[in-house]
Amino acid sequence: MEIKMVNLTKIFISKGKKEVHAVDHVDLVIPSGKLIGLLGPSGCGKSTTLYLIAGLLRQTEGQIYFGEEEMSETPPEKRGIGLVFQNYALYPHMTVRENILFPLENLRVEKEEAKKRTYDMAKLVGLEEMLDRKPKELSGGQQQRVAIARALVKTPRVLLLDEPLSNLDARLRLQTREEIKRIQRETKITTVFVTHDQEEAMSISDEIVVMKDGVIQQMGEPQAVYDKPANLFVAKFLGNPQINVFDGEIKNKEILIEGMVVGKKDMPDQKIFVGVRPEAFVVDNENQASFRFKVDLVETIGRDTTLIFDMQDDSENILDKKTFKAIIDAGFRIKADDIVHFNIKPDKMHLFDLNGNIL
Amino acid sequence: MADIYVTNVRTYKAKKILSNILLYAFLAIIAIIILLPFYWMILSSLKSTVQLEQIPPILFMSPSDWKITNYTDLFVLVQSGQRAGEPLFPFFTYMKNTVVVSIITTAGTTITTILAAFAFARLNFKGRDILFAILLGTMMVPGEIFILTNFVTVYKLGWYSILDQSYLDVVLAMTIPFMTSVFYIFYLRQTFKQIPNELYYAAKVDGTTDFKYLLKVMIPIAMPTIITIIILNSMGAWSAYIWPALIACEDEYRLVSNGLRGAFTDTSTGRTDYGQQMAASVLVTLPLLLLFFVFRKQIMRGVSRSGIKG
Amino acid sequence: MEKKNNLRAWLYLAPLLILMAVFTFYPLINAFIVSSYKGYLPLSGTADGIDLFYNYGVILKNPLFKKAVINTFIIAGVSVPISILLSLLIAVSLKSIPKLKGAFQTIYFLPYVTNTIAIGMAFAFMFHEDYGVINLVLGWFGINPVNWLGGTATYAAQMIALLILTIWNGLAFKILVFTSGLENIDKQYYDAAKIDSASKWTVFKRITVPLLSPLILYISITSVIGALKAYNSVVGLFGDVKLGAQNNSMITIVAFVYQYKDGYTDKGYISYAAAASIILFFITAVISILQTIVSKKRVHY
Repeated sequence: MEIKMVNLTKIFISKGKKEVHAVDHVDLVIPSGKLIGLLGPSGCGKSTTLYLIAGLLRQTEGQIYFGEEEMSETPPEKRGIGLVFQNYALYPHMTVRENILFPLENLRVEKEEAKKRTYDMAKLVGLEEMLDRKPKELSGGQQQRVAIARALVKTPRVLLLDEPLSNLDARLRLQTREEIKRIQRETKITTVFVTHDQEEAMSISDEIVVMKDGVIQQMGEPQAVYDKPANLFVAKFLGNPQINVFDGEIKNKEILIEGMVVGKKDMPDQKIFVGVRPEAFVVDNENQASFRFKVDLVETIGRDTTLIFDMQDDSENILDKKTFKAIIDAGFRIKADDIVHFNIKPDKMHLFDLNGNIL
Repeated sequence: MADIYVTNVRTYKAKKILSNILLYAFLAIIAIIILLPFYWMILSSLKSTVQLEQIPPILFMSPSDWKITNYTDLFVLVQSGQRAGEPLFPFFTYMKNTVVVSIITTAGTTITTILAAFAFARLNFKGRDILFAILLGTMMVPGEIFILTNFVTVYKLGWYSILDQSYLDVVLAMTIPFMTSVFYIFYLRQTFKQIPNELYYAAKVDGTTDFKYLLKVMIPIAMPTIITIIILNSMGAWSAYIWPALIACEDEYRLVSNGLRGAFTDTSTGRTDYGQQMAASVLVTLPLLLLFFVFRKQIMRGVSRSGIKG
Repeated sequence: MEKKNNLRAWLYLAPLLILMAVFTFYPLINAFIVSSYKGYLPLSGTADGIDLFYNYGVILKNPLFKKAVINTFIIAGVSVPISILLSLLIAVSLKSIPKLKGAFQTIYFLPYVTNTIAIGMAFAFMFHEDYGVINLVLGWFGINPVNWLGGTATYAAQMIALLILTIWNGLAFKILVFTSGLENIDKQYYDAAKIDSASKWTVFKRITVPLLSPLILYISITSVIGALKAYNSVVGLFGDVKLGAQNNSMITIVAFVYQYKDGYTDKGYISYAAAASIILFFITAVISILQTIVSKKRVHY
């Protein structure tokens, strides 16, 4: 089931009578059968978008379509969606079985079939032994799987997940991530997954949608968005450690950072931001490459060494210092206070104008 | 599978409007039922005897037809008999008594409650939990068990005497036995317990005494709860009926509730003057309603919190 | 240090404990003692002898006490379930109208801040056969005037009038408590129920009531205890002498206890009162315990 949003807008009136555009004229098509990660910092409108798709919130403007069918005015119970809440919202007074059965009862599915589907679904999420337990007798990960089972049991047209992993510990998060991916592949159900964790979104999604201030910044396959960010915000939001952003300029078709040439660009002279991924730095001390800096700090973890440095920034306050990170192979023996020369991989370097738009 | 979800949006909207209309109608009817006794009481108090006895009864009256004679009659002095020289319904005397009893009881209850709640919330002493459980247990006991023994106690304390009961006796008898409330202790203890321990330890380090800490820290922090307790408790005297009836030997010592019932029926003919009865009821109800409209938020919050356990 | 602490605590508790010792614990114990005396005179403290069950026997054989128990049970048994169900429905309805909620809530709370006697008298006049508004309204629906409270009123009519007053009086507190109880239920459960296509009725039955069940249990226990002590509403409606359209036709257990209130100079009267109030105590205790046990199987969570 394809989901299409046209000019979708949601305005909240805050306490001071101020209008907050939580979702701002969004046009988006979510292709059928795909798992889409809706990604952005908190307050970017991603959860609001999800609730609009679910019908739990009513849009101020615009339309939502499931396939050809307009859903804009349809109440949530008629939309045929499954939703996994951030805190799961399992009914605390019902057993696992009753929780999973509940949507089927409401849809008046015939009893025997409902029983069978409940069992099958519990098996799919690996909880067939736990059917008679109450939610509070389950671990966080198990509760989360019950929530998925409850959302899926009615074979919804669309599955929506609202930060479903944020309440799990790190190990469970990885495991459940794989689980969700597997279930989605098996059921081939169109799925929208909201998260603020870029790594989570990148690893699980067929495509990601990056949002900020209610506006979609970019949509595409995770690696494609990472490799070709549409603007400075997306570039900074994706990738850990964060992309380094240098004040730079284009002069005589050369890219300069602090006067050091780091590449070429056929463009008129102007001030720019140069975004450099930490993994873009290649040590080149033999050739005395143009870009160099004095290393402040060296952290070696496993096969990677992270070099932390600041440019010739003379800020008095150490907290104000803008630091940068380069990740290189641990094979290089580098100490603090060394001056190191680098080449920068051109495909890992992104140029932005002063408004943050890609050049 | 999908077709069960498909719905006609227009039918849904119509249904929603219809259910909203039904909802408001239901709530409005309940509101009318709740307000009707007040309306009937006020309306009847403004009717003349002829209007009162009209069949079918008058349901609406334009303000120009309102009579205040029922109210003025309440203050007409009785001509003869035992109560000669007193107003027919000595509202202000009853009011004064009620307010006096209410203030003294509330002051006493507030003090015992604050002290006890502090001990239970803050101090460690042997037998604390058992004592608290016993006190909670007394809430289960119906007050009727206490009343006759208490009456005898009050009698023996000399606060009750048919012949020479003084005003002080009455006030003591009506207030002293009611200066404790386990429920309010329970309620205030909860509030006290939410005040972080660190504050107490900090005060101890600064050399503050317990009593000063209670006075300067705990009471100010718990003020909203204490105000709720004061308001709720002072409303109690308005409804107190049986005990004041038992204690007051003289008419002039009665509280509003007692003065109200029984008056306005001519004992020889059995005829009731409904107009005056309703006027007096309005007068008795009014102070409470005024108190309510001034402290609406505190009262409603206090009552709803007291209803939700824990 | 420990001892000092103990002493200090008892000092804070002293005002409370002294008052309670005199006016709560002593009378409680005394009630049990007095109920075992035969021919007891409280002012002189003399009695004809001790017989543990004599006074209970007298009371239980008294037809007026039977009547009082039946009346009290009817009041509690009918008014409590109706007022709880009604206030739940009202609270749930209030939840779905954010706009006028405050105004409605204030109106519904008014019965809480009235004088029971005054409002009882207003009800008495509303139920007046000729001049009352109730018969006027019934007349609109073609129902003949009912003699609710007059000298020849039927038992059923009196009881219905009393029940209506009792329910009206009890709604305020319950609506307020249930409304705030509903506010404490996580909104996510309702969102989840919408996603799960639950109808309004299903949501009420399967989500709201179970999640509110601890509160419903608590309120029903306190309401039953309150209803078992019905007295002021009877006095408001009928006066404290007659207690009914016919003498004592609406007598309650508490009213039965209070009929001995002037009998402190009469031999044995106070023992009857003590015995009756202890019976009330036991009824209250047994019903609360039963309610808790029965509900424990249903109140799960």
